[in-house]
Amino acid sequence: MKPTPIRESVTTIGHDGTRRFLQPALIFGSWWRARRAVAWLLIAFFAALPWIEIDGFPAVFLDVEHRHFHLLGTMMGLGDIWLLFFVITGWGFLIYATTALLGRIWCGWACPQTVYLEHVFRVVDRLFEGDHVSRAKLDDQPWSAPNKMLRRGARAFAYLVLCWAVAHIFLAYFISIPGLYPMITDAPLAHPAAFVAMAIATGLLFFNFWWFREQLCLIVCPYGRLQSALIDDDSVIVGYDEKRGEPHGKAAPGIPTGDCVDCRRCVQVCPTGIDIRHGLQMECIACTACVDACDDVMTKLKRPTGLVRYASLRELNGGKTRFLRPRTVLYAALLVIGLIVASIAVLRVQPAAFKLSRPPQTELYALSEASVANVFRAKIQNKDEIPRRFFISAESPATKVTVLNQSVGMVIAPLTEITLPLTLLVDRQDYRGEFNFMLRLRSEDGEISLLQKAHFIGPDPRTLKQ
Amino acid sequence: MTKDQTRGSKPVIMPHSYDGIQEYDQSLPNWWLFTLFGSIVFAFLYWLANFVTGTLPDDRVAINTEIDALEARQLAAIKDLDEPTLWKMSRNSKTVAEGQAVYNSLCFTCHGPTLAGIKGLGFRLNDDLWVHGNTPTAIFNNVSEGITFEGKPTGMAAQKVLGTGRIAAVTAFLLSKQKEGAMKVIPRKDEPSQLTP
Ligand code: SF4
Ligand code: SF4
Repeated sequence: MKPTPIRESVTTIGHDGTRRFLQPALIFGSWWRARRAVAWLLIAFFAALPWIEIDGFPAVFLDVEHRHFHLLGTMMGLGDIWLLFFVITGWGFLIYATTALLGRIWCGWACPQTVYLEHVFRVVDRLFEGDHVSRAKLDDQPWSAPNKMLRRGARAFAYLVLCWAVAHIFLAYFISIPGLYPMITDAPLAHPAAFVAMAIATGLLFFNFWWFREQLCLIVCPYGRLQSALIDDDSVIVGYDEKRGEPHGKAAPGIPTGDCVDCRRCVQVCPTGIDIRHGLQMECIACTACVDACDDVMTKLKRPTGLVRYASLRELNGGKTRFLRPRTVLYAALLVIGLIVASIAVLRVQPAAFKLSRPPQTELYALSEASVANVFRAKIQNKDEIPRRFFISAESPATKVTVLNQSVGMVIAPLTEITLPLTLLVDRQDYRGEFNFMLRLRSEDGEISLLQKAHFIGPDPRTLKQ
Repeated sequence: MTKDQTRGSKPVIMPHSYDGIQEYDQSLPNWWLFTLFGSIVFAFLYWLANFVTGTLPDDRVAINTEIDALEARQLAAIKDLDEPTLWKMSRNSKTVAEGQAVYNSLCFTCHGPTLAGIKGLGFRLNDDLWVHGNTPTAIFNNVSEGITFEGKPTGMAAQKVLGTGRIAAVTAFLLSKQKEGAMKVIPRKDEPSQLTP
């Protein structure tokens, strides 16, 4: 028997904690069509990115193994990882801003969970097991029923193939298509780590889309929970116009009724199993299925559509949605500041990195007849796609520092990092005790100039005066 | 909690109320409870296997075994590195090139890029005059363990940094500039290092 959604408990979880499976009906409305178009665009985009080459590298290639991250033609090394700050805070900010304005628009239109479940896996469901009525019937039949095994099995196989494909595309972001290809064609045991990762990813995806489904949105997804808390009276949500619809029920003489005829079409189509007429609920992923369903019914009844529609709580209560409010203005201002700071930071990323350290197991300084010497270890990374010649020089206004072996500089191949010992000499006559100075890494073509602070270590100068 | 509350009816409200807030008596999803109890069981089994029965290999033991194996391999490698072998390596262009790469990445800091030495930092290495021993194994050991001079360690003990293979290669590179039987031992004060960048 179908459970009736009530606000106080979750439809998909029984009173004894068991899982209840939903078989939502398909509603082929205008919102659904628009969402399907967006979903296919997103899927195409996701699948295409690893194939698109910019400057000889995939548009997005997170080469964890070599610690190079290619993003739209720029290469970042591990040293640039701090830029992730902008990605993470920017992401968080986007959640706040879009949710304040448009509610859970992400969930309904763009989240991979919704995109793949609604527009890939439910398509497979319909293909192998028919519409919601025959699917529900199949659910209730015993395994011995004719064709149940066959239909479920065929569906499971289709799921597996699809999950396997999605897992491969996902892996391509980390090892690139040229890296992925031999792994597919070679025997599984030739790349055991990749094979296991792929098997686990496929298994998790399968579990998620086959069994877990809306439970992810309901209980696991932090974004879903966050958004539920970020909506205010003016955020645009999917809502039921109670003023117009209530009291619901079949029109009968003498009983005043609203526009809702209680056909329960909106409940039938809901993928999270709620009744939108109970108002805004935390389960609602704003998928607009109930909007399409109700519009369909209203059109047939020749009544105006929009009994269930995108509207803010204020609008549904008879007011007018305020898009300009302190919260959104503040978000806009923060957005501008954030974008400016992030652009400056990204523009300042140089196609090289320069780090200094002291080599292990060497003495802090050495003395020769004429000078005091310090040895540093320089790590230089050429993040560009062309080889470059680099020079290191000391910038020390007070004490003259000579960097040995830097007359011809060093050529560093593209996308490589070298570790180089640097010997620095200070004349005994010039030496006045330890001091701070700067080392500059320059490229021959003048494109790159990076500074590093350094400290010159030496003995007490008085001990040198004999 | 009672199992057969009718569907669609309101769930039971617990009798207590804190700050005016009451709660429903709902079951948690079974799958969620499964993850909870599953992790408790896993923690117990993990503890048993790791700390009681020792079925799982201890990380420390595993690492020590690995280090021991490495050291054994290095010792075995060193045992084979006698004078004739090192001389033979020094005539192998691939080994010498490898040794030169190692030299250029590290040793040149103190001994200079042309092996001419840097006065006060590192001895000259491109002549046939040697202060700390004039045999291939002596050179190998000096690179590997460093040198003690007047009770103080000097030179770089490169064993941990480079490992036996690369030290042997560097030794071969140095020997490639020498003739067998022509290396002389000299006292430290006669060492002709120059300050040549
Ligand atoms: S709740 Fe989470 S998983 Fe579900 S649609 Fe929203 S963002 Fe996606
Ligand atoms: S209530 Fe409507 S918008 Fe919300 S999840 Fe259900 S069908 Fe989608």
